[in-house]
Amino acid sequence: MAKYQVTKTLDVRGEVCPVPDVETKRALQSMKPGEILEVWIDYPMSKERIPETVKKLGHEVLEIEEVGPSEWKIYIKVK
Amino acid sequence: MVWTGLIIGIIFGVILQRGRICFNSAFRDVLIFKDNYLMRLAALTLALESITLLIFAQAGFIALAPKPLNWLSNIVGGYIFGLGMVLAGGCASGVTYRSGEGMTTAWLAALAYALTARATQGGLFSNWLKWVNQYSITIDSTNPVYAKKIGPTIATVLGINPWIVTIIFAALLIWYAFGVKNKSERPSKLNWIAAAVLIAILAPIAWWTSAKTGRNYGLGITGGWINLISVYTTNAKLSWEGAEIIGIIIGAAISAVAGKEFKLRMPKNPLTYIQVLVGGFLMGFGAVTAGGCNIGHFLTGVPTLAISSIVASIFFILGNWTMAWIMFGRQK
Repeated sequence: MAKYQVTKTLDVRGEVCPVPDVETKRALQSMKPGEILEVWIDYPMSKERIPETVKKLGHEVLEIEEVGPSEWKIYIKVK
Repeated sequence: MVWTGLIIGIIFGVILQRGRICFNSAFRDVLIFKDNYLMRLAALTLALESITLLIFAQAGFIALAPKPLNWLSNIVGGYIFGLGMVLAGGCASGVTYRSGEGMTTAWLAALAYALTARATQGGLFSNWLKWVNQYSITIDSTNPVYAKKIGPTIATVLGINPWIVTIIFAALLIWYAFGVKNKSERPSKLNWIAAAVLIAILAPIAWWTSAKTGRNYGLGITGGWINLISVYTTNAKLSWEGAEIIGIIIGAAISAVAGKEFKLRMPKNPLTYIQVLVGGFLMGFGAVTAGGCNIGHFLTGVPTLAISSIVASIFFILGNWTMAWIMFGRQK
């Protein structure tokens, strides 16, 4: 069961640094306020850096969910 | 004594992995994400290291060996290295420690970097290196904190005591690290201040143990990779720096497994592998041309206030910014 009403999913597992961050930023720009972006990552540095960037852009990080060994989903609410 | 390189490497690998220390990210984040977390970490590390290295030299444990100044090679090689690290998805230390985390793109980047570095030093591109090296400038030093033949430093050019320059340099960087507005924070497993302090303690010990094996220099990456290729292809002896590389990979792997962060990571688009190979190629060629990478020049050379390392580092950053802007910066 999905936890959130996700509008868009971004799977950037295995991508070279900083592609996950850049793709997240681009995805957020094309979304409307209230929508939820789900970013699927597997790199620990992105788990720490993406929330920082997202907060700076004024959006809300709802949750960072651990979904497997070194895999996480970040749920972001567009503001 | 070569085994000391392995121990130092393992510790360094753990610090790099836990602190997420990558200078490619440090330089680029400032431009692309307006994020200064790693840059502040780098600034504090350089500040503290400049003091710890000079204390060790003053106490007679080590003799600082600033690299020869070569305007042409430091600028050109530095810029090419900077372009390469963005394509490779990590700097010299970044691709080395990420290899231990199971990042397959880092394996290929490191391999291309190592092979091209070896080719530039003694293979296909060695004539280029011979040609640029004729413009290298060294001076004879009488100050016991330095080795006898060194590249010029800010202190030697100004003709003043290295402590004066070091204290001003450290103060400026500490002011940047703590005083800058809009500080970025991150929940890293190893806090940025702790990481900087640990590296500043490790760096002079690394230099001291390396010098005992006849290699009078501190932490480095490029020479180590060249050594590993030579060990593999020509049965050369394993050097302190080669052992340090093996240690970094082992240390990062242990740290990643212990932190449940080890995973074989593969990008969906196979073209990414081509991109990192090109990046590694540019890094190997650039690092040897410039006389060092982001560890040999930036992390170890800049704290000795070597002009060569300062010039090369400025061009690492400019190369990094150019490629980062081309790849990620235009479509904001």
